[in-house]
Amino acid sequence: MATYLEFIQQNEERDGVRFSWNVWPSSRLEATRMVVPLACLLTPLKERPDLPPVQYEPVLCSRPTCKAVLNPLCQVDYRAKLWACNFCFQRNQFPPAYGGISEVNQPAELMPQFSTIEYVIQEDDLQALKESLQMSLSLLPPDALVGLITFGRMVQVHELSCEGISKSYVFRGTKDLTAKQIQDMLGLTKPAMPMQQARPAQPQEHPFASSRFLQPVHKIDMNLTDLLGELQRDPWPVTQGKRPLRSTGVALSIAVGLLEGTFPNTGARIMLFTGGPPTQGPGMVVGDELKIPIRSWHDIEKDNARFMKKATKHYEMLANRTAANGHCIDIYACALDQTGLLEMKCCANLTGGYMVMGDSFNTSLFKQTFQRIFTKDFNGDFRMAFGATLDVKTSRELKIAGAIGPCVSLNVKGPCVSENELGVGGTSQWKICGLDPTSTLGIYFEVVNQHNTPIPQGGRGAIQFVTHYQHSSTQRRIRVTTIARNWADVQSQLRHIEAAFDQEAAAVLMARLGVFRAESEEGPDVLRWLDRQLIRLCQKFGQYNKEDPTSFRLSDSFSLYPQFMFHLRRSPFLQVFNNSPDESSYYRHHFARQDLTQSLIMIQPILYSYSFHGPPEPVLLDSSSILADRILLMDTFFQIVIYLGETIAQWRKAGYQDMPEYENFKHLLQAPLDDAQEILQARFPMPRYINTEHGGSQARFLLSKVNPSQTHNNLYAWGQETGAPILTDDVSLQVFMDHLKKLAVSSAC
Amino acid sequence: MAELYVKPGNKERGWNDPPQFSYGLQTQAGGPRRSLLTKRVAAPQDGSPRVPASETSPGPPPMGPPPPSSKAPRSPPVGSGPASGVEPTSFPVESEAVMEDVLRPLEQALEDCRGHTRQVCDDISRRLALLQEQWAGGKLSIPVKKRMALLVQELSSHRWDAADDIHRSLMVDHVTEVSQWMVGVKRLIAEKRSLFSEEAANEEKSAATAEKNHTIPGFQQAS
Repeated sequence: MATYLEFIQQNEERDGVRFSWNVWPSSRLEATRMVVPLACLLTPLKERPDLPPVQYEPVLCSRPTCKAVLNPLCQVDYRAKLWACNFCFQRNQFPPAYGGISEVNQPAELMPQFSTIEYVIQEDDLQALKESLQMSLSLLPPDALVGLITFGRMVQVHELSCEGISKSYVFRGTKDLTAKQIQDMLGLTKPAMPMQQARPAQPQEHPFASSRFLQPVHKIDMNLTDLLGELQRDPWPVTQGKRPLRSTGVALSIAVGLLEGTFPNTGARIMLFTGGPPTQGPGMVVGDELKIPIRSWHDIEKDNARFMKKATKHYEMLANRTAANGHCIDIYACALDQTGLLEMKCCANLTGGYMVMGDSFNTSLFKQTFQRIFTKDFNGDFRMAFGATLDVKTSRELKIAGAIGPCVSLNVKGPCVSENELGVGGTSQWKICGLDPTSTLGIYFEVVNQHNTPIPQGGRGAIQFVTHYQHSSTQRRIRVTTIARNWADVQSQLRHIEAAFDQEAAAVLMARLGVFRAESEEGPDVLRWLDRQLIRLCQKFGQYNKEDPTSFRLSDSFSLYPQFMFHLRRSPFLQVFNNSPDESSYYRHHFARQDLTQSLIMIQPILYSYSFHGPPEPVLLDSSSILADRILLMDTFFQIVIYLGETIAQWRKAGYQDMPEYENFKHLLQAPLDDAQEILQARFPMPRYINTEHGGSQARFLLSKVNPSQTHNNLYAWGQETGAPILTDDVSLQVFMDHLKKLAVSSAC
Repeated sequence: MAELYVKPGNKERGWNDPPQFSYGLQTQAGGPRRSLLTKRVAAPQDGSPRVPASETSPGPPPMGPPPPSSKAPRSPPVGSGPASGVEPTSFPVESEAVMEDVLRPLEQALEDCRGHTRQVCDDISRRLALLQEQWAGGKLSIPVKKRMALLVQELSSHRWDAADDIHRSLMVDHVTEVSQWMVGVKRLIAEKRSLFSEEAANEEKSAATAEKNHTIPGFQQAS
C-alpha cells in the first residue's frame, strides 16, 4: 500500500519543508478539531547541491500588496506572454527578457520540479569590477600616481593615506561645481608657484595637497586594495520601479577638476567605470523612473530626448577642458541597457581615451579588454602615450583642410591652413592627449595650385608630420615624418594617376568623412552625398561607352572601391536604426581611430572559407559563399563569427572528428578556431565570439552582413539554387552595381 | 612557468562572451603580428554571382590528408581551441606544493625587511596570515599553490623580475582567489629587492674601502 512516507521525504529533500498535515482540512471549524495545528518546519537554506542558482532576478506579481514570485502553480498564457498570480489572481505581463518562452521552452521557475529555486541578486558585477581594479594595481608601474572617486547618489573622493582610518570627501551628486570650487573644497589651491611645464611633473615637486588624493602605487597598493575590496553598492535603497541614482556628471567633473588642479600638462588618464546611465545632476541622461525608457534613435529623430542636449553640453565642456589639460578620459560601460555613451562620447573622442562597452563587468570581454590596456611592447614599455601634438607642414602647393580622429584643434592658423574645412579644420596643429601604436588620424588636404601654373619638371609636393609626445617611460619624444609625391598633369597622365590610386585608403578616408557628416546631418543626406561621390568617381575613372552600362569597366586599382561603398552604406556607422544610440556611438568611436586594415574590416568584414579543397581562401561577402560543405570565418572587427555549413554541421554532430580515419575532418574543424584565436588574442577591444552553424539562431550575424545576392525575391532568377537565400529586401550588390553603371554612363548626370 | 590556457567566456552574463586567455598566452602574443586574414575578393564585373563548383554529398566526409594550411605552424598551446572546456595546465602536475615550503621563505623575507616602517610590515604580515589561513583551509586551487611555490623559489634566488611576473600572472588569472593577500606578496618582493640592492651597494662601498686597507682574507659576504 502506498504510503505518504515517500511523498513526505521527497518534499523535504526538495523543498526543505515538513508539514504536520499533508492534506489540509478544508474548514476552520474542522481544523481546530484536529488538535494539532496546521504547521510546518522550514529549512530555508537546506543544502541543495543539485540546485544551481539562476543568474537572474525573480519575476514579481505587479500588485503592490501581493508581489508574489512567479512559480509553477501560476497559469501562463504563452502566446500573450501573460501570467496569472495564483495568490491574488492578478494578470501580469512577462518582462521583455521572457519574450522567447513557450510550452516547450519554459523558464526554470515554471517547472514543477523547481518548486524551490534560488536566484542570484546581481552583486557579482560589482565584485568583478572590484577585482579587475585590484588586478590593475599589479599591472601599473610602481611609481604611477593613482586616485579613487566613487559615486552613486553622492560622490566620494577618497583620501589615500597610509595609516589608520580611511577618509573621503563627499559631494552632493546634484550640484555641479566649478573647477575652482572643487579645488578649494579639496584643499588644492596652492600658493602662486611657477609650474614646470617642460618636464613631466615629478611627485616630489608637489608634496602637499595632491598627495592626499593621488599617491604612487608602490606606497598605497595595499591600502587601496583593501579600500576597493570594501566598496559596496550605494546604501540608499532603490524603490521598485526606479533606477538607482547615479551622479556621473558631477563625479567626472570632480575628477577633471582634481587633475586640473594638481597635474596639468602631464600624461594622465581618468578611467570612468559605470554600470548604468547617469540619472541625477548635471549630465543626467535619463530620469529615475524605470517606466520612462532611455532615448532611442526614434526618440532623437522626433526630438523627444529630453536630457540629451543639456547632458551632451556638460560632457563636451568637460572633454574640452580635459583635452586642454593634456589628460584623457576612458569610459568603461557595462550594463544590459544603455548607459549614456551617446552623450558622453566626446569625453573619449576628443581626448583620445578608450570606450569599452559590455554587458557586465563579469565577462571575459570586459576583463581582457581592460587587461590589454596595460600590455607592453617588445621593450617592456606600456604601449600608451600621452600629450601628443601633431603639427603638419605642407609645401606651398598644398593646404591643410582638416583632420578626423581622436583629437582637438589647437587653432593654429598659418599659410598652410585652408579656408575649406574637412573634419576638424582651421588649424595646422591638433592635440591628441591619449594615443597608442594603432591610433590613426585622417588628414585632408587641398591642392591650391592654379590650373595653368606649370609644375616644374620632376616637381614634387611635400608634407611633414611632426608629433611631439610623452612616451610611457615619461621621456618626451618627437617623431618626424617627411613625405613627397610627384605632381602630374591630369589631362595627359590620367592613367598614371589612376594606377597610383590606393582604393583601400580612399575608402577609409571617404568613410570617415561620411561618418563625420552623419554626426550633424540627416542620415539619408549622408547616403545621398556618398552615392553622388561614388557616381562621380566612376564617371571620371571608369572605361565605358556613353549610355552603354554593359560596357562599363573599372581598372584593378578601383575594382574594390564600389564594393567598399556598398558595404559602408549598410554598415552600423551609417545605418543607425538597427542599433541603440549608445551602440552607434561605440561603433563610430572605434571607427574614427583605427588604422587602415582594421577600419576596412569594419567597413567590409573579412570572410574566409575553409574546405577540403585547399588552403583557406577569402571569398566574396555574399550569400553565395555560404555553402553546405564549407566552414566560414567572418571578422567584422566587433565580432568573430565561425559558421559551419549544413553538411559540416551534420558531420560534426555525427562525431566524425573523433574517428581516427577522419582525422582530416578534425583538422578542418580546428583550422578556423586557430585563426579566430589569433585574432582574439591580440585585438583591442576584445570582440564578441560567435560559434554557430547552419540553422543556428546566431547565424543571423553572418546572414545580416553578407550581400543578399539571393533573396526570396530573386531566388529563382539565376536558375539554380546555390548558396543560402537571405530573407531581406535589401538591395543586393548586383542591383547596386547595375544602378551605379547606369548612372555613371548616363550623360544626364 | 606561466600557464598557457584558454577558458570559455561567461555566457551567462554576456551574450557571445569571447574566450578568456591566460596571462601567459596574452603576454606571449606580443610578438610580430601576422595579419593573415586580410584579403578580399573583387565582385565579378559582369554581375552574376560566382558559383563555385561544389557538391553537397550526404555521405561521410572525404578521407585523406588534412587540408593544407596557409600558415606555418604557430605557437604551442591549447587543447581544442576557444570552444572547448577548461584545460588548466599544459604539463603534468607534480606532487602538490607544500604550504610550509611557501610560507616559511615568505615569513623569512618579512623578517629580513623588519627594518622598515612598522605599518607596512604589519600589513604584509596580516596578509601572509590570510594566505596561510586560505591555504590550510583548502580554499586555494592547485595552479595557484603551484605558482606560489615557483614564486617563492624565484624570490629566494633573487630573481625579482621573475617573481614579479608570477605575481602578475596570478593576479590576472586567479584574481578572485588571490586578491586579498597577493598585494602583500607583491610588496614583499619589492621590499626584498630594494633591501638587496641597498646591501649590495653597501658591500661595494665597504669592499672598496676594505681594499684600500687590505682586508682580512676570507671576508664573508652576507647572503
